[in-house]
Amino acid sequence: MDVLRLAWLYLWIAPHLLLILVAVLMIRNGRQRDFPIFFSYLLYEFLQFVVIFSIWCLEAPHPMWLRTDEILRGGSVVFRFAMIQEMIAAPFSHSIPMGKIMTRMLNWGTGFLVVISLVSVEYLYRQLPNYGLLKNYVVIEACNITQCGLIVGVFLWHRFLGVRMSPTVFGIALGMGLIVGSEPYMLAFVTGTRLISRDSLQMAVFNVAVLVWLYFVQVREPSDSDFNGAQLLRVRDWAEGVGRITRP
Amino acid sequence: MNLQIILAIVAILFFLFLIVMSWQWLSTRGEAAPAGELIPVDLEAFQNLTDPEEEQFLRTSLSPPEFRSVQRIRIRAAKLYVVALSDNAGSMMRLGNSASLQADQAIVALGRDIAKRALSLKMWCAVLQLRLTAALVFPTILSPTGGIADQYLAVTYMAAKLHAEAAA
Repeated sequence: MDVLRLAWLYLWIAPHLLLILVAVLMIRNGRQRDFPIFFSYLLYEFLQFVVIFSIWCLEAPHPMWLRTDEILRGGSVVFRFAMIQEMIAAPFSHSIPMGKIMTRMLNWGTGFLVVISLVSVEYLYRQLPNYGLLKNYVVIEACNITQCGLIVGVFLWHRFLGVRMSPTVFGIALGMGLIVGSEPYMLAFVTGTRLISRDSLQMAVFNVAVLVWLYFVQVREPSDSDFNGAQLLRVRDWAEGVGRITRP
Repeated sequence: MNLQIILAIVAILFFLFLIVMSWQWLSTRGEAAPAGELIPVDLEAFQNLTDPEEEQFLRTSLSPPEFRSVQRIRIRAAKLYVVALSDNAGSMMRLGNSASLQADQAIVALGRDIAKRALSLKMWCAVLQLRLTAALVFPTILSPTGGIADQYLAVTYMAAKLHAEAAA
């Protein structure tokens, strides 16, 4: 087995094993309760790897490989949309459920971005000689590009609210941003010409993303639950502020 | 321009955005959470700036160029008030969120209500800022509105109630 093949196998296997470590750390810190969708996504990605790896080891026919890959990647995309919703709701997960209006606004924004991405990716893919083979990936690639826009939205949403992102939310957003952000770059430069180098690049990016998750999942979350002396002092200042407003 | 080049630019801009966000997040990591002090807002003056009757009076008593000029000054002032209201709503949101993590159920319920209303107020402030920006461009067509003042009073009243609950 040559070095390149070993490196390729490493890039493929190592991050998926690390996903289990991320999940274990989440359980140890009790974060799976706060981020159930991200936690499920970790398990899903690992199971996806087990299925694809088994098919690869069994040397299944190429069409079966492609079909399974498409379906499983589709599942990842759906999970990532749900994770974005989880990150947007994160600042108020203890106090306010995601309202109907906010969910509707998010869905409309997502739909708008999907349409734009779909048109762009379809246009690019149509120029490829092996379009027939890859056309089913158009929707998946378009959704990935849409998620780039939504990740920007997650950062801006926290900034708009004036809330600091918790380490876990920041880590999830950064890791996911790396994964989905590499899509437009790869579409622009390596589309169809060298699929193996494109896969390797994707796997390398996924490695970095998993390492980011691994780091941020074990960072201690700042506790907001001490509603003690300092908080009470703030509340008193508040009341005085209200007095200043209501008594002209 | 070729679509591939546009996509490459999008990817580069996105990664630059991630780098900037990471740098900002890491540079403020050790700092304490924002204190959330209330900025005093003169609601009466704000309501006066957004009063339709006052606007109508100015419209009838001034020449059109004078009215546009005065109206733009009033809109700019109203925008400053909305920015202050939005900042205060953000502080109230954090306070409500923090209160909703307490053991006392009365404080939890009040905290949730404050967070919910403050979020709604913050969203309305954002909408109003957009509207005021548009009104700044077309001062004779669009009028500024001050409908958020009542919402603001309701939230601040609840914050005061939270103080009483917490002190009890």
